[in-house]
Amino acid sequence: MSNLVLLLVVLPFVAAAAIYGLRAAALRSGLVMLTGGVLAVASVVLLARGLEHDFTGLPTAVLGVAWDTLITVADFALLGVILLWGLRRKSALVVLFTAAQLVLLAIFERFVLEPGPAFAPLYADSLSLILVLIISIVGSIICIYGLPYMRIHEEHLALRRSRQPEFFFYMILFLGAMNGLVLARNLLWFYFFFEVTTFCSFMLIQHDRTEEAIRNATRALWMNSLGGLAFLLGVVIAYGELGTIDMLAVVQSGSPTGVLLGALGLLAVAGFTKAAQLPFQSWLLGAMVAPTPVSALLHSSTMVKAGVYVVLRFAPAFAGTALSTGLALCGGFTFLACAALAIGQSNGKRILAYSTVSNLGLILACAGINTKAAFTAAVLLIVFHALSKGLLFLCVGSIEQEIGSRNVEDMRGLFHRMPRTAVITITGILSMLLPPFGVLVSKWLAIQAAAENIVVVTLVALGSALTVVYWARWAGLLMGSRKAGAPWESQPLLTRGALAVLCGAVVVLSLLTPVVYGELILPMFAAMPALDAAAPLEVGAGGVLGGPMGAFAVYPVFVVLVVGLLAAVLFMRRTGRTRYTHPYLSGIHVGERDAGVFRGPMNLPVTAELGNYYLATIFGEARLTRSANLAAIVLILLMMGLAMKGGVPS
Amino acid sequence: MKIALLTLAGLVLAPLAGGLLAGVDRKVTAWLQSRKGPPIIQPFYDLIKLFAKEKLAVNPWQVLCAWVYLMAAVFSVVLFFNQADLLLLFFVQAVGAVFLVMGALSVPSPYSQVGAQRELLQVLTYEPLLMLVFVGIYQVTGSFRISSVLDHPRPLLLELPLLYLVLTYALTIKLRKSPFDFSTSHHAHQELVRGVLTEYSGPFLGLVELAHWYETVLILGLCALFWATSVPGMAILLGATYFLELLVDNTMARMTWRWMLRYVWTVGLVLAFTNLLWLHL
Amino acid sequence: MFDALVTRARVKSPWVLHFDCGSCNGCDIETLACLTPMYDIERFGMINVGNPKHADVLLVTGTVNHRNKKVLQALYEEMPDPKVVIAIGACGLSGGVFRDAYNVVGGVDRVIPVDVYVPGCPARPEAIIDGVVAALGKLRQKAVPTAAGAGGNGRFHPRMKATGSS
Repeated sequence: MSNLVLLLVVLPFVAAAAIYGLRAAALRSGLVMLTGGVLAVASVVLLARGLEHDFTGLPTAVLGVAWDTLITVADFALLGVILLWGLRRKSALVVLFTAAQLVLLAIFERFVLEPGPAFAPLYADSLSLILVLIISIVGSIICIYGLPYMRIHEEHLALRRSRQPEFFFYMILFLGAMNGLVLARNLLWFYFFFEVTTFCSFMLIQHDRTEEAIRNATRALWMNSLGGLAFLLGVVIAYGELGTIDMLAVVQSGSPTGVLLGALGLLAVAGFTKAAQLPFQSWLLGAMVAPTPVSALLHSSTMVKAGVYVVLRFAPAFAGTALSTGLALCGGFTFLACAALAIGQSNGKRILAYSTVSNLGLILACAGINTKAAFTAAVLLIVFHALSKGLLFLCVGSIEQEIGSRNVEDMRGLFHRMPRTAVITITGILSMLLPPFGVLVSKWLAIQAAAENIVVVTLVALGSALTVVYWARWAGLLMGSRKAGAPWESQPLLTRGALAVLCGAVVVLSLLTPVVYGELILPMFAAMPALDAAAPLEVGAGGVLGGPMGAFAVYPVFVVLVVGLLAAVLFMRRTGRTRYTHPYLSGIHVGERDAGVFRGPMNLPVTAELGNYYLATIFGEARLTRSANLAAIVLILLMMGLAMKGGVPS
Repeated sequence: MKIALLTLAGLVLAPLAGGLLAGVDRKVTAWLQSRKGPPIIQPFYDLIKLFAKEKLAVNPWQVLCAWVYLMAAVFSVVLFFNQADLLLLFFVQAVGAVFLVMGALSVPSPYSQVGAQRELLQVLTYEPLLMLVFVGIYQVTGSFRISSVLDHPRPLLLELPLLYLVLTYALTIKLRKSPFDFSTSHHAHQELVRGVLTEYSGPFLGLVELAHWYETVLILGLCALFWATSVPGMAILLGATYFLELLVDNTMARMTWRWMLRYVWTVGLVLAFTNLLWLHL
Repeated sequence: MFDALVTRARVKSPWVLHFDCGSCNGCDIETLACLTPMYDIERFGMINVGNPKHADVLLVTGTVNHRNKKVLQALYEEMPDPKVVIAIGACGLSGGVFRDAYNVVGGVDRVIPVDVYVPGCPARPEAIIDGVVAALGKLRQKAVPTAAGAGGNGRFHPRMKATGSS
């Protein structure tokens, strides 16, 4: 068991260091692929060994130095480095928040913390295992995708000296830190890994060292440092109340007092910053300047998942309190507001970013609803969102490298130029908004879970309708005609492989939703007595997920819709007698069939200008952001206030 | 067994009912405009003719999208007669709506593009309202299953009158009646040629039309759930509702999507909220 | 039986595309008058569509000139088979009073094949309805066999016709 932990957490740190030292590209590629493969296998083996691990047999020291000491030293060193970066970037906020953390941590470790009953610093239950799987498998695929991507990226930049060693150093390091974070039981370890992810994301966002990258990275750093401070403060206050830094003890503390609720609220706020919830969304948006693998890795499938993981982890501790209701409102509001903001965007990566924040909001709303159904929805959404969003980021990255733009308007008729990538992208997009894909199963559950709370369910209903708009129009414009014999797109094998594997995983795992639920999520509820008393969803014959509230027949719906789609494809292919003609342009079309060109004044050809409705006057960033942020701040303050007023059941 | 038979009957009868209703619709509309109007079975002539026309398309995606639209519509009707989950049925129905739009967007024709954007706004407008209607049904019956609505002893209309009104807004938008017929209209001719349907032609337009009949039946079925305790009650409710739709269609002008979004969301949300609140208190 | 059904459906559901090739609007007004409650052509299942892709009958008014003949051809090409063409009014038939103008090609049949000619200046609504009903007879002939609908009346090559007749 300890070997597996070593592989999942320590190996990435070692491998990252090796990658940093090695400058040969072939060695680096080999090492990245090897590490990725090992991580993926180790995560699966860990799952196969059981659903709960308390890692009691772990060695407490390495080379005579206790792990705890090592983590403490590393923690101070890391905070020191962040402080230095803050000074270097002349960011008062970073310096302020980091210095506060340093002082607080020092006081806490030196004067407050007393040796308590020993417990293993690591722990894994199904929730951790699911995240380990996502991080190790999806994260590894993204890192491998990064190999050809970064080669092309650097060719484009024409650097004198490759900066890839540094890039992959942070990417791989990040995987290790994330695994550590989701496996940690000791809250100080938890905090350490939390800070490592903050630092890695900062370094990766500023990787290209453009002015914009540096500015956005600094913003990400101060926001996440604020989150770190909230986290540490939460831990310290919780220690003051409960006298332990054992995460499980905090989660299972039961009927929390006002002060403890405040601490839990602070932990939730830490989760908000990391998950880029309103009003902290700007760091995630800004992070899109980084190379696409960074966006995919840190900002869709893993880093932001750390934020929702924190909240979801502690959610059972405050089930049924006012904090929980406040959380549901905050999450629901972010879901709605960011879906609206996404409509105003034409930049593909920003659409993805807003959609990410929006979906994380839904996950947090579910965490706030805090019932078994809601919890299930949240976990399923984490899984399927990671897959679909990881896939979509990689797609946009590939498209951008081919067509030189990330604007969706430039992707019109992409099927002509990149047929394979276009089909995969369309699949990825549809997997975010239509059945039988897993995201929809979780959305179905989320609505059911929210149905008792009128406000939250209204927020969710409005938000999911807005979601349809920005996805459907994007998927539609990727389609187009393709001339017979047009050149087939060429892609590096690793790129193509990564896209194909993720796309396949989205489809297959969607089919396996009942299995995922039955095997991984259902067993969790035994350890969560604080959630509602209602019986959890059952997996019936034929993959029917059902309870008294409703039923989603996963297998039948999947089979019918897939067979329907295949039949439609068959009909589409049998187009022997179909005559292909121009689009209707009032009879004055000229030129290529699918070009949309018409004969204008002076007999000159004019291309019909097409564009989506971005509705800037309603959903534009300039119009919405300020008021949405303000409302979000009010909601968060409300949530904290309600929490601190005392554990009054809502 | 009974449910299987009912499903089969629904599968066959839904397009017949949808087509006939479209015929009645045109006849009554003609009557309201002091015209004689086409025969009641005119929509069937139209459909058969469309299926027998030459296959014409701009790209194969349109063909795919038209088929998926039809299949999703059929499947959602099947789910309805299977007394499945309302939310599930709603999501399956959304598959069709999305594919219809995607097919229109796959063609670089300004008319179909603008029509598709407007269709999306229509989807945006009615989706949350429908969802809130389902939430209301849940609050009354304790479940999202259609079977539990049928087991409910009293007509839902008594407890959810305002939500029924909300549902009729969704119905008007879904039926593409004035004042909400921006994306395409039944009048075959509008400022956008035929909006989202412009580029579907011949058999593919036939598929879309057939799917629309299934959808009409589906939404009217949802309306019928509000008086599920008695068959005459159902008939009265549907008849009155549809006549009201026709009256609205014939007395209103086409408005803009901005107005629709603002008006329907405001009125719909206020009505829905009021109704949900009084259930809650 | 199936063929008979299809033919009947075609005859019962002629969707009309009206194209104004540069008419003085006299014939256009009369054409649109057919839609009014007074004449109500919808009782024959006729609908005035705005799109050749949905049309079965092309109704052309006005003189064909060198600029709009391409449009006329394109619209005709974009109509799915089977289809019929009705030329309306003196101008649509022959170019009318404008036939000697430098920019005028002539009647509609110089560019696309015409099935029915409706004379008049302007043509009366009754005459237009009569023309459409006559066109339905043509459509009935063209309609069989269904399976080879596309091949039934062949694709017309306007240039051949145009040069042939001049």
